[in-house]
Amino acid sequence: MNIVVNNLAARWTPILLAILATGQMSRAESLHTLIDKHIEVRWKEHEIRPARLASDAEFLRRVSLDLAGIIPTAVEARAFLDDTTNDKRASLVDSLLASPEYALHMARVFDVVLAERNVASTASYDIKGPVWRAFLTEAFAENRPWDTLARDILGSDGTDEKTGPGVKFFLARSTEAHVVTRDVSRLFLGRDYQCAQCHDDPRYEDYLQADYFGIYAFLIRTSHFREKKSNRSMLAEKAEGDVNFTSVFTGEKGETHPRLPGWEAIPDPEMEKAKLYTVAPAKDVRAVPAYSRRSQLASHLPRKETDGFSRNIANRLWALMMGRGLVHPLDMHHAKNPPSHPELLDALADHMEETNYDIKALLRQIALSQTYQLSSQFAEGQSEPSPESFALAPLRALSAEQLGWNFLQASQRLPASVLDAEQKLKQESPDDFEEQRKELKWRKEIYDNLEKTAAPLIKAFANMPGQAEGDFAPTVGQTLFLLNGEKYFNLAKGEYKGSLISRLKELKTADEVADELYLSVLTRRPVEEEREEVAQHLEKSKDREAALQELTWAKLLSAEFRLNH
Amino acid sequence: MLGGTIGSLGMGLGAYPLLAGEVEKSRKKLLLIFLSGGPSQLETWDPKPGTKYGGPLLAIPTSVKGTHISELLPNTAKVMHQLAVIRSLNTGIADHFQGHYALQSGRTVPGFPVIGSALAKLLEQDGDQLPGYVEMRRDGPKAYTDVGDAGFLGPKYESVKVINAEPPDFLIRPDTFSESKAQVVDQLRVNSDQRFLQGRSELPIRAYGGTFSRAVALMKQRGIFDIEKESASDRELYGSHLFGRHCLMARRLLESGVSCVKVVSHDWDAHQENFHWHQQRCSEFDRTFPALVTDFDRRGLLEDTLVVVMGEMGRTPQINNRGGRDHWGKAWSMAMTGCGVKRGIIHGKTNAEGTEVAEGEVHGGDLFNTFLRALDISPREKYQMTGQPIPAGDPAGSTIREVLV
Repeated sequence: MNIVVNNLAARWTPILLAILATGQMSRAESLHTLIDKHIEVRWKEHEIRPARLASDAEFLRRVSLDLAGIIPTAVEARAFLDDTTNDKRASLVDSLLASPEYALHMARVFDVVLAERNVASTASYDIKGPVWRAFLTEAFAENRPWDTLARDILGSDGTDEKTGPGVKFFLARSTEAHVVTRDVSRLFLGRDYQCAQCHDDPRYEDYLQADYFGIYAFLIRTSHFREKKSNRSMLAEKAEGDVNFTSVFTGEKGETHPRLPGWEAIPDPEMEKAKLYTVAPAKDVRAVPAYSRRSQLASHLPRKETDGFSRNIANRLWALMMGRGLVHPLDMHHAKNPPSHPELLDALADHMEETNYDIKALLRQIALSQTYQLSSQFAEGQSEPSPESFALAPLRALSAEQLGWNFLQASQRLPASVLDAEQKLKQESPDDFEEQRKELKWRKEIYDNLEKTAAPLIKAFANMPGQAEGDFAPTVGQTLFLLNGEKYFNLAKGEYKGSLISRLKELKTADEVADELYLSVLTRRPVEEEREEVAQHLEKSKDREAALQELTWAKLLSAEFRLNH
Repeated sequence: MLGGTIGSLGMGLGAYPLLAGEVEKSRKKLLLIFLSGGPSQLETWDPKPGTKYGGPLLAIPTSVKGTHISELLPNTAKVMHQLAVIRSLNTGIADHFQGHYALQSGRTVPGFPVIGSALAKLLEQDGDQLPGYVEMRRDGPKAYTDVGDAGFLGPKYESVKVINAEPPDFLIRPDTFSESKAQVVDQLRVNSDQRFLQGRSELPIRAYGGTFSRAVALMKQRGIFDIEKESASDRELYGSHLFGRHCLMARRLLESGVSCVKVVSHDWDAHQENFHWHQQRCSEFDRTFPALVTDFDRRGLLEDTLVVVMGEMGRTPQINNRGGRDHWGKAWSMAMTGCGVKRGIIHGKTNAEGTEVAEGEVHGGDLFNTFLRALDISPREKYQMTGQPIPAGDPAGSTIREVLV
C-alpha cells in the first residue's frame, strides 16, 4: 500500500506542485476579484441589490482613514480628485501602504487590539505607551509578518532590545495567567474561552475546558518581575508547576501539559533537577528556566498548523477594512457562529499563509476589491441590506485615535506643523529634502510633538479599559466635551498660525471658502446647496471671522466627519 | 444588531396623553444601590453567629419580630419592616466582572442591557430629554462597575456618569462662546446631517445627532446634580460621605424625572480582615440607607420607586488564612423595598452553616424578572429589534411571587 502511494506521489508531485503553484500565483494576484465573487454569490442567493460604487471622494476618504488613519489635506484631495489616470485608486492604495502614516496608524490600531486600553497594575514600571507604540510602529513599517510579530510578543520577556516592549501584552493583563490565557485565545485564535475556564462551554461544543487549560499550562509558570536597578518590568519563569482542573458542572478532573487546541500535549523534556534553571529563582533574581513553556507557546502558536491562527488574523484584517468580521463578533469563531462567507474566509486565511502572513498584501487586496469600494449610500427605493451581506459600505465610528488626529488634521493643526517642519528641513538639508520628508522617523517626530494636543481628544472618545472597541456608541458625555471642553474648543478656534480659519480668511469668494472648507474637513467638494449655504451665511454675518468659525465648527461636529463612510 | 431599528417599542411612546406633571407621578423608577466587590451575606443579611463559619460578630433583633441581621447594621435593623430580604440567592458566579454583568442584566450571555439601561428604555416617555439612567461612583482607574452598559439597546441608553458627586463634566459653555452662536452652529450642523442622511443608514447618524439635543437639555438642567440646593437638614440626614452625597443626589435626580439611578458603594471585596473590613463598609451604609428608606417613605417616593440593594456576589462561608472571605455565588443575600414589593419579609434560607441554599432558591434571572414585575413590566415584554424580538426578562427565569405584592 505504502509503495503504491509513494509511487503515485513521486509521479504526480511535480505536476501537482506546478498546478498548485500557478493556482496560488493567480489566486494571490487576483484575490480581490475572488473576494468579489464570493460576496456576489450571496447577493444573488438572497436577491440583494448592492450599492453603487463609491465616488472618488468617498473612496479617498475611506481608504485614507483605513490605511493611514487620517484624512488627506485639501491639497492632496484636490490632486486625487482631479487626477484622470485610470488606475489612480490602485496607485493611491499603494502610496498609502508605503506612507509613514500607515505604520503609525496600524501601531495605534494594534495598540488597542492587543493592550485593550488596560492599565497595568504595575503602572509605574510598565512599558510606557510611546515605547510600546514605537515597537509596533517599527513592526508595521517593515511589514513584519503577523506570525513573527505574534512570536515577538508572546515570546518577549522584556529583556531583548528589539522585542522587549512586546512584554506589554502580558503587563497590560498584570501577567495574570488566566487573563493572559483568555486573551491569547481571543486575540490570536479568535476564541473566547472565558466560560471554559470553569467548565466545557455548554453553548459552544468546541470550547472545551481542557483546551483552555492546555493554553493556560504554557503560561502558568510565568510571572511578573521588576528589575530594581532599571525599574523595568520583565517576565520571570519557573521550571516547575503543573495544571489540574475540575469542572464545576460535572466535577470531572483533568490534568494537562501545554497543548494547543486540536493538538497533542507537549511534554516537558526530562531533566536533572540541578539543570532545570539557567538562572535559579532567588530573592530579587529573575528566574530563567532551561526549558521555557512560554517560549514553546511563542514558537508553536503562531503557525498555520494552529487551528484558528490564520483565520483569526484574516478575519480581523477584514473587519478593520469592512467594519465587520466575516465571523462576528471577532472572538466568536465556533461551530454555532459560522462565517457569513466561509469560502471567502478560507481564501483570506490561505492568502495569509501563502504570503507568509503579509499584512500589507491582504489589506491591499481587500482595498482593491469592488466590495470594499461600494458606496455607503443605497439606491433610491432600495431597502437597507443587512450588514453581513457587505452590499453597502457601513457607517463606522472613527476610532478615538482617528477622531483625535483628524480634528488636528481638519483644523490644520497637523498640516501646519508638517509645513513648519518641512521649511526647517529644507533649510537644514536642501539636497535630500525629498527623501528625508518621506522617512518615518521625520514624520513620527511631528506626530510625537503633537501627542499632547491629541491625547485629551483621544481620551475623551476612548472606550473603557478592557472593552474591545465595539459598534458606534456616541455618548452625551462625549458630545458635551466637543461643545464645551476647553481642550477641544481652543483647537477649533484656530488661533494659531496656519489654522483652517486663518486660511479661509484669506480667500476672497464664498465659492473658494466653500471648496477649501469642504475639502479640508470632509474630503469632498460641496454640492450646490452647500455652496449657497456658505455664501448666505457669510453674507448675512457682520463678523466674517465669526462666520467662518461657525461654518468650520458645524462641519467638525457633523456626523459626516464623525463617521467613516 | 447593527442595523436594528431601536425606538419603536410600545412603552410610553405617545401612549399616555397626560400632562407632564401627571406623567411624572405615574412613572415607575429604580434606585439600585450596588455594593461592589461582593458584600458578605454573613456580616449583613444572613448572620450565623456561633456556627462553624459564623465569625466573631453577633446577630441583633430587628423591627420584624423573630428576624435577626448582623450587628453591623443597627439602624438598618430598625427599618426591617420596610424591607424584603432574599437569603437564598444561588447565582453560581464567583467573579467580579461576570457577576456585575449577570446580576445587572439577568443574563450570562454577553450583549444584553443592564437593568439601568433596560429601564431607561422600558420606562421612556415621549419627549424625555433627561438621561434615563444615571450612574454614580467614585473616581478610579479600574472599575469593574463599568462592565455593564446598554448592550444591543445602543448608546442612547448608556448611563450618564456622576463621579465623586460632581456633576458630569463640561455642562457649562465656555464664556467666550455665546448662546446665540451655539444655536447658529447647531443649525448648520443639523442641516449638514440632514443632507448626509439621504440614502444612508439612519441609526448611527440619528444616534450621534441625538447626543447634541440631550447634551443641551442636560446643560440647561444641570441644577439637578447640585445637592447644595437641598436643605442642610437633608444633607445631614444622608451624611457628608460620598455614599451619602450620592444617595441624596439620587433622590434629587429621581424626583426630577430620571428613571433609574445606580449608586455604587465600593470596596466590599474583603479577601482579608473580612470583619474589620465589613465594620467600615457597613457603618457607611448603615449611616445612610435606613435614613433613605424612611425619607423615601415619608415623601411617598417608595410608592413608585423600587429600591434594590445588592452586590455582584456574596462571600465564602469559609474564612481564609488572612481572615478574609473569598468570592462566592452559591448561597447569598440581597434586599429591596419600594413599589411592588412586600415589606418586612424574608424569602428563602440557607442551611445552618450557610454553605448551601436550603429553601426558596433564587437565580440571577429570577431576580431580574422580579425587578421588572415590581415595576409593572412583564418580563416577556419584547424589545423590537430587526429580525427577532428579544424578551426584556430572562425567558429561563421565573418571578419570585413571594416577595411581590
